[in-house]
Amino acid sequence: MSKKRKVCSIVIFSVILVALLAGIFIIGIPGPKEESIQEVMKDAVLHESIKIDLFGLMQVNPAVISAFVVTGIFIVFALIVRIFVIPKFTIVPGKFQMVLETAVSIFSNMAKSNSPHKNGFIGAYAFAAGAYIFVGTLFELIGIQAVSVSGLSVSLPAPLADINGAIAMGVLTYSVILVGGIIHNGFRGFINGIKEFSLPISMSFRLFGALLSGALVTELVYYTMMLSFVLPVIVGVLFTLIHALIQAYVLTTLATVFYGEVTEPPKKKEKKIKKSKKNNKTQVEA
Amino acid sequence: MTNLPLNIDIQQILLHLFNFTILFGALYFLLYSPVVKFMKQREDYYKDLEDKAKANVDDTQKTKEEYEAKLAKADEEIKVIKTEAGEAAEKEHERIGSEARSEADKILKNADIKAQRDHDKMIGDAKKEIADLVSDATEKIVMSSDVSASYDEFLKSIEGEN
Repeated sequence: MSKKRKVCSIVIFSVILVALLAGIFIIGIPGPKEESIQEVMKDAVLHESIKIDLFGLMQVNPAVISAFVVTGIFIVFALIVRIFVIPKFTIVPGKFQMVLETAVSIFSNMAKSNSPHKNGFIGAYAFAAGAYIFVGTLFELIGIQAVSVSGLSVSLPAPLADINGAIAMGVLTYSVILVGGIIHNGFRGFINGIKEFSLPISMSFRLFGALLSGALVTELVYYTMMLSFVLPVIVGVLFTLIHALIQAYVLTTLATVFYGEVTEPPKKKEKKIKKSKKNNKTQVEA
Repeated sequence: MTNLPLNIDIQQILLHLFNFTILFGALYFLLYSPVVKFMKQREDYYKDLEDKAKANVDDTQKTKEEYEAKLAKADEEIKVIKTEAGEAAEKEHERIGSEARSEADKILKNADIKAQRDHDKMIGDAKKEIADLVSDATEKIVMSSDVSASYDEFLKSIEGEN
């Protein structure tokens, strides 16, 4: 990467961050709201009643805190790896190096195979999204406790178990696909992207529904007294693990496939040439 | 901002986006990019090795072909030399044979000449001896008194000679 390009990407990155921050504060701090818990399941699904205070600025769903914690864990891990591990990489990899390289190459190869024309950015995006979904989903297994505004102890859920997190992920993925199409194919890419207008909704609700279904089944297992010994541990862990893997795989695959579609260069019009050749032939025969 | 159904909150969506953007940046710059860069370096390293090995194999193949061509050329040359040597040996053989034959002819001829000469000489000598004997006998007869007796003696001597 050239210096100019690096500076450009850092500037774009900073502008996006500032714009997002501005958006958060322009929308304003929500006021107090009457909370009424009607059903356990509804609460598990919608997180309407339990709010957590975010640095005294606003009240948010526990999943937002989960998202920040997961990001924090990732950043610390990535920093440690970047400073202490990557400089010691060898041509013949060790075990940890092998794990890192495999994780990176799974997503970069997925991007290369699904989007053969342009895959530099989408590979990195798929890596980040896959890692976020996988680790974020497994995060709920740790069961980190937080205190809600009402003083209750809350076990932090998976970031994507909140519909807002899932919508953010779906919308961002669709935006990446649309912008990628516009950058690489101009108006044609834009039209290709717009054609898939249902993508952000389907992606968001797929993520949300898949993660939620696991949580609901676990809740149901817990709800029945007979089944609430030993079994929930197995069911909970299995459901979480499987959802973590499947959702990470599905979202990254869809993202790379659609990115590949919108960035595909236009095919040359061979039909016209063939047609004109056929016409010539018939003329000659006649 | 909780007017939307299903507890959808745009502010929280933006918070999630903000969070993921930070995560993406951190993962890209700290993990993804350096690891991909390293893997690319290793790929280039092995590609370079492979290219070198391929070049070596090509060189070896080329050298082998050159040597094979040289060997084939040497075989051809050996064949030509053998043929030439065979022809030369044949010629030499013929030459030596013809020389030997002519030498033998010459020797035979000389031997014949010499034998003829010896024969002639022996004949000459014999004739001379006979003449001398005749002369001696004649002289003896002449010197004796009786011609008839001398004649008889001459005849006897002749018979005795034979």
